[in-house]
Amino acid sequence: MNARRESWARVAAAGSLGSNQGPARSGALSHLVNSNPTSHNRLSRSIDADSHHHHNNMSTSWGRAPSYNSQAGYWQGLGGSAQDMPPFFVPSYLRGSKHAEKLQESHKAKLVAQREYKSTHSPSTGSLSTSSSSVNLHKIAPSHRGLTHEVIERAPVFVDEPVAPWPTKWNEGDRFQQLHLEDGGRLAKFSGTQKTHDEAAAVRADFPMPRQCGIYYYEITVISKGKDGRMIGVGFSGPKVALSRIPGWEPDSYAYHGDDGQTFSNTTTGKSYGPKFGTLDVVGCGINFRTNTAFFTKNGHMLGTAFRDLKLNMPYYPTVGMKKPGETVRVNFGQEPFAFDIDKMVQDEKTAIQAEIARTKVYNAPEGEDALIHQLVGQYLAHDGYVETARAFSDEIVDEARALASDEDAEIPYRTAVEDMDALNRQKIRRAILEGDIDKALKHTTAYYPSVLRDNENIYFKLRCRKFIEMIRRCGELSAQCHPVPTPNSKRSTATTLNKRNSTATEEYDFEMELDEQLGVHNPPPSWDNKDDDLEDDDTEDKQARHQRATDETIGYGMELKAEFANDPRREVKKALEDTFALIAYTDARESSLAPLLEISGRVPVAEELNSAILVSLGKSSSAALERLIQQTEALVTELADDGGPGAFINVRRDFLY
Amino acid sequence: MSSSTVSVSAATPTLHPFQRKVDDIKPSKTDINFVIMDYLVSEGYPRAAERFAKEANLQLPHDEESIQSRVEIRRAIHVGDIDTAITKINDLNPQILDTDPALHFALLRLQLIELIRTCTSSATSDITPALNFASSQLAPRAATNQEFLRDLELTMSLLIFLPATETLQKELTELLEPSLRRNVASKVNEAVLTSMGAHGEARMRSVVRLRQWAETKARAAGKDIPPSLLLGLQDADERPANGNTEATDVMVQ
Repeated sequence: MNARRESWARVAAAGSLGSNQGPARSGALSHLVNSNPTSHNRLSRSIDADSHHHHNNMSTSWGRAPSYNSQAGYWQGLGGSAQDMPPFFVPSYLRGSKHAEKLQESHKAKLVAQREYKSTHSPSTGSLSTSSSSVNLHKIAPSHRGLTHEVIERAPVFVDEPVAPWPTKWNEGDRFQQLHLEDGGRLAKFSGTQKTHDEAAAVRADFPMPRQCGIYYYEITVISKGKDGRMIGVGFSGPKVALSRIPGWEPDSYAYHGDDGQTFSNTTTGKSYGPKFGTLDVVGCGINFRTNTAFFTKNGHMLGTAFRDLKLNMPYYPTVGMKKPGETVRVNFGQEPFAFDIDKMVQDEKTAIQAEIARTKVYNAPEGEDALIHQLVGQYLAHDGYVETARAFSDEIVDEARALASDEDAEIPYRTAVEDMDALNRQKIRRAILEGDIDKALKHTTAYYPSVLRDNENIYFKLRCRKFIEMIRRCGELSAQCHPVPTPNSKRSTATTLNKRNSTATEEYDFEMELDEQLGVHNPPPSWDNKDDDLEDDDTEDKQARHQRATDETIGYGMELKAEFANDPRREVKKALEDTFALIAYTDARESSLAPLLEISGRVPVAEELNSAILVSLGKSSSAALERLIQQTEALVTELADDGGPGAFINVRRDFLY
Repeated sequence: MSSSTVSVSAATPTLHPFQRKVDDIKPSKTDINFVIMDYLVSEGYPRAAERFAKEANLQLPHDEESIQSRVEIRRAIHVGDIDTAITKINDLNPQILDTDPALHFALLRLQLIELIRTCTSSATSDITPALNFASSQLAPRAATNQEFLRDLELTMSLLIFLPATETLQKELTELLEPSLRRNVASKVNEAVLTSMGAHGEARMRSVVRLRQWAETKARAAGKDIPPSLLLGLQDADERPANGNTEATDVMVQ
């Protein structure tokens, strides 16, 4: 439910349409009818620009979608907002992690908020981007499980508690004064003179290393060890450790020193650890929060565990310190590829944890893992109204059990899912929505569950919007037929798809009539989707006429929709209306950046939501046991990730559901 | 459900904070349907998979022709017809058993168990076929592997104790239980899937184990979670009509 609201919200980036409704529609219409690509008026272009912008944003903000081909953390192009917010990057070893996804989502939410602020404060936000950004979407679209749909359906998790960001640069406000920062805070340089032997200059990063990463790692390159020394210390420290001392010498401060290769923790007495380091050496520092240990690397080689028993509740900031004039260090928090193969180290950790999970015995299922899974699947199918599947599955399970028992009359433990009228009715409603026949779904719902639409106005609204979208889809199809691409196959393929549609529609034809009579409903002929006509007429002229009619009806329905909901004070309703209406602006919306709204897969969430509402109205649980199992799993894993435990290495969705 | 109309009486004052976090997570139906389809296909429920593709508007994965043979293999193992199973596996891909001696041995041992069962239950109690099979098929393999040898010895001792099943020790009764055939069948299924380059184990299994693992770990780490996390499988039909079942689940405990 959340999901859709968010997607509406995101799509309606412009927000300017509402105030310009009149000209927008007429402009859009002439557009639609003439289908002349040169007739873009100013307004539709600005919609275009805005929506592309939005798009940009969408395609960059979903961690799973792009396939990153470089080893480095990737930088996100942020269109016009780059100056206002630092670019977002994900260190290579954290890619695909749950924490990276969360950070990305919160970053995106900030961007949206910022853009909304901008669009209300400066009226001319158009002409920011060109159509090239839609390329991204086409890359995402083909998928065996409907990624585009995913883009629409998946809500950004609205994070109540702030997500811990990772370090991005040295902190200008958290440095010793002798130390100067350059290159956007990536370069730290000792300038000035050393006053006493013990005095040093240190700087901390802008954020502590987040425990939720499981392992956090960064590297520095010694640009220059200065004239007469290489007293450089690399490590981490708590937020209150004095910056006038070399890291490692104070309580809560840990470091590896270049001049002697020793490690220091909380004291000025070092322990021999690794080689010395100097100019052009790359030194890495990492914490494994699961084991509470820290390690260093030099020029890509692991030097082993340096510190154990780190404090569990202390925020550790990457810290570097130096003593001699000219000493210069450049930091890499993941913006660039690392010298050490930290990706492999993290991957090994993940693999070990996954192997442990695979060995886990499911002990809290009294009848064993198989029986539990059978029940979960069977209950889900029945609960969500997949009646035929539930039946077939139960038959196959019973078959299997019989074979195993080698006894025809054996008692079969699997309980056949209880079937009832409700399941069948819900199945009918779902099928209608999945076929795009929203009217039928509305009718069935009103007939069987009169209170549901009344009590769930938001669902009713979404169904009405979906109907509008289906009408626009229809217009697009008809329009495509009016201007057929001159390939010999085009006509036939159109005919077969229509045939298919028709056959599914006729199955319930009698029932439809009956129901109409019972209800005393007289529906106007659904001519916007008049299937019989489609089959008979192949005439372009007729098609044009039908296209015209469909367009008129779509507009008519749109007006009706607007009249019904225009005064609705809810923000999401307004947004949804704006989005949906924005679709009319395109000759063929399927080619536009708003195409995701038109995806057939967009029917699924509407169908699911209605199904859940019906279940609730019947006093049944709105979610199946399998759903609850996944919820619990996610929540448990999050518990295990927050303190840097093993859960930090698990992304339930990516690693287990995908 | 974020709808304001749904949660009328949901505000149970003592809702556990963890339960709130659970409720806030909205799994995607697309994901769940994918997991279901993955399960039906990989564990071999072809009719259900076909129906589900229709009802949920999903595409059947491409390797559907293998489902049927996998189902036949599973069935053959389940009913104890190991000969047929081995033939069918080799028809599909002779590499599977060649490259997995443990799996091949497990199948042959099942076959031996069936032979022993038949021998000892017949009136004549002629155990020659079982002995012949053991010495020609299993003994050569067991000679090279300690574990195989132990398994073979254990299986052979069935010859002595059967048909007196009441007095058998646990180790031996386990050999006669259907679960052994089921386990071998599912291992074979996994091997066939892996040989075709498919994701071996059904994701459904991994998720069920992940939940178990995570709960165990979280409890061991002393996380603040309710004493019992129910799925609502058992009492699905006896829920109060307030739409907030999670809360009641926990409260009942």
